[in-house]
Amino acid sequence: MSVFRRLRRPPTLELDDIQATLLRARPEPYFGTHAILEITEPAAGRELLRRLAPRVTSAARWDEPRPSWLALALSYQGLVALGVPHESLASFPANFRAGMAARAERLRDTGPNAPERWEFPFGTPRVHVAVTVYAASEHDWRAEVAAYETELGEVPGVRLLSHQDFAADGFNVFGYRDGFSQPVVEGSGAEPLPGDGRPIKAGEFVLGYPSETGHPLPVPTPDVLGRNGTYVVFRKYHSHVAAFNTWLHDNARTEAERELLAAKLVGRWRSGAPLALAPERDNPAIGDDPNRINDFDYAADPRGLRTPLGSHIRRMNPRDTKLTVLTDVNIRRIIRRGTSYGTPLPPDRLKDDGTPRGLDFIALGARAIDNVEFLQSEWVGSGNFMGLGKEKDPMISLQDKGAYFTVPGTPPRRVQNIQSFNTLLGGEYFFMPSLTAIRWLSSI
Amino acid sequence: MSEKDLHAKFQKLPEAVREKVDSALADAKIALKLKVAEILADKQEVAEHAVTTAGRIGAKSGEVSELTTILPLKPGGAERLRKFFKLVGGNLAGAGQVGTLHNMRFVFLDNDTKLLFATAFDGEWDPYIDDFATKIPDFMDYLFSNVEGWPGITSPDVKDFIVKYQIPAEAWFVAHPGLTVAEGARLKRQESAVQRFLSDLN
Repeated sequence: MSVFRRLRRPPTLELDDIQATLLRARPEPYFGTHAILEITEPAAGRELLRRLAPRVTSAARWDEPRPSWLALALSYQGLVALGVPHESLASFPANFRAGMAARAERLRDTGPNAPERWEFPFGTPRVHVAVTVYAASEHDWRAEVAAYETELGEVPGVRLLSHQDFAADGFNVFGYRDGFSQPVVEGSGAEPLPGDGRPIKAGEFVLGYPSETGHPLPVPTPDVLGRNGTYVVFRKYHSHVAAFNTWLHDNARTEAERELLAAKLVGRWRSGAPLALAPERDNPAIGDDPNRINDFDYAADPRGLRTPLGSHIRRMNPRDTKLTVLTDVNIRRIIRRGTSYGTPLPPDRLKDDGTPRGLDFIALGARAIDNVEFLQSEWVGSGNFMGLGKEKDPMISLQDKGAYFTVPGTPPRRVQNIQSFNTLLGGEYFFMPSLTAIRWLSSI
Repeated sequence: MSEKDLHAKFQKLPEAVREKVDSALADAKIALKLKVAEILADKQEVAEHAVTTAGRIGAKSGEVSELTTILPLKPGGAERLRKFFKLVGGNLAGAGQVGTLHNMRFVFLDNDTKLLFATAFDGEWDPYIDDFATKIPDFMDYLFSNVEGWPGITSPDVKDFIVKYQIPAEAWFVAHPGLTVAEGARLKRQESAVQRFLSDLN
C-alpha cells in the first residue's frame, strides 16, 4: 500500500519550520530508533541542540518519499535542565509539567501498568530529550543513527539512558496492518482520501494556528518557542500476542471463527479491511487500497451489528456514530506515529516465546496530552460514552478480572474473560519544538 | 474533690479559658461519635462514596463531579437571563443532549448582582468544557455573556475564568456514585423491556 499522499493545493503552514514527523507518513517497510537522553549540564544540552538542529528534518515536501528523517522532542524536565526561563516554563500546560507518571490516575495506568513497574528510564525525572529516527531502508537508518550518535558522542554532559531499535513492514505484532488512518490537517495541502472526513483546523495539531474553535489553543511563551511546535505522547507497550491467540482458541472453534472474533475486537481484519466493508471475511484487496481502506462510516450500523460499538477502531475514531455523551469527535483526533518492535507471533502460536515485542504508541497534536488522557479514561477505560457501561477497549485497555466483551447480534454474544493484551512499560509527555525553537533553545 | 467543687473551681477560671475547654470537649465528643460511626459503617459503602478530584477543580464521587460557581452579573444581566428562563418556563430540558448533566441550577443572589450556577456532571472537568467550546458555543455564550468579564467559551482564557469563580465543595454526597446519566438511561430502557416482557408473558 502506498503511504504517501499527494498535495491537492499549496500548503499554508510554515512547513520548513515544522518537524517532519508531524506530517510525514512513516514508510512501509520502516526502520528506526527511539533514544532517550539525559542532560546533566545545561550548557551541554544547549550544545547538543545546536549540533542536532541541522539534522532535525522539516516537513517541507512531506508528500515526497525521503530516505530517512530525525525528530527531536523535550520533556518538561528537559526544558528545566536546559535552563529555560521560569516564566516560559510556567506557560506550559499543567499536565505536561507534571509528566505522564504523575498523571497515572487520570490515564488509568494502575496495577500492572502503574509507573512503579515501568522500565527505566520512564517515569523518572531523568528523561529529558527524545530522539527518533525513521527510515525506509536498513542502510539509511544506520547512516542517520550513526550521524546523530557522532554528535551525541562529542557532547559530554548529555547521557544516553535508553536506545530502542524498531523495524516492521506496516503490520503490528498481532499481525494487523496499522498506522494508515490519520486526520487530514487543514493547510498541509494534503489531498484527503475517501473516508478521511473533512480536514481539521491546523491549530488542533500545530501550535499558533486557529483551532476548531476558531482561536489558537494556548501557546507556550515566548512565541518563538511555542509557535509551530506540538505535543507528543509516547507510550511503550508489551504485546501479549500468545495470550490473544489463546483467548481466540478458547472462544472459537475454527480458524474462520477465530478470525471473525478477532476482527470484532479490532473492527478490521488483518489486511486492514474494515468489517464495515467486509463483514464476513477478510478482503485483502480493500486492505491494499488506500482509496478503499477508510472509505466507510457507521450510518447503516447504529447498533454495531457489523462493527461492534465497543471495537477498538470504533472507540478510537467513532466517525459518525451517535454518542451518548456530547463530544466533538474532531477535537479528539490525534496524529499517530506509532512503531512496532519485535517480531510478530503467528496466530497458531499459543505459547509465549519470551521475546520482547510490542508497540511504541506515539500521538502528536496541540491537544495530544489532553486527548490521550481523555481517550484513556473515557474511550479506552470505560464504555459510558457509547452506553456500554463498564466494558473497556478490547485491545489496549487494562481489563479487570472477569471482564467480558459483547459481540452485538440477535442474540448478542458475551465472550468471557477477556485479558489485557497490552501492558504499558512506560511513557512520557514531550514537547516537539519547531526548528526555529530548537535554535532558540540552543542559545538561551 | 467532689464534682460540685470541681464545677465551682471551673467557673472561677477566666471566660476565654472556659470557652476553649468547652469547645475542645464538644469537638472531642463529635470526634468520638464519628469514630464509632466509622467502626459501625459498611466499609464497601464508604469506599464507593470516596470523594476524589474532578480534575482541575471540584470534587468527584464515583463518576459524578460537582461544580459550583458564583459569578458577577453585568448590569441588566439578571433581567435578561430571567426573561430567557421565563420564556422556557424554567425548563432546560435541551441540556439533556449533553448526556453527562445530572442537574444544574441558576440562582440569582445579592439583589440580582450575582449568579449562582451549580451543576453535577459525569466525568472530568476539562474535556467537557472543550466539547462545549466546539459543540454548543453559541448557547454557552448566550447564557454567560451576561456575566461580567466572560471571555467567550472559545477563548483560551475561559477555563481560568471559570476556575476563578468556582468554589469547590467541602463535602459531596451522591446517592449512586457509579450511576452515570448514560447508565441511568440504559437501566430505564432495560426496565421498560422487562416490564413489556412481563406484561406479554401474562
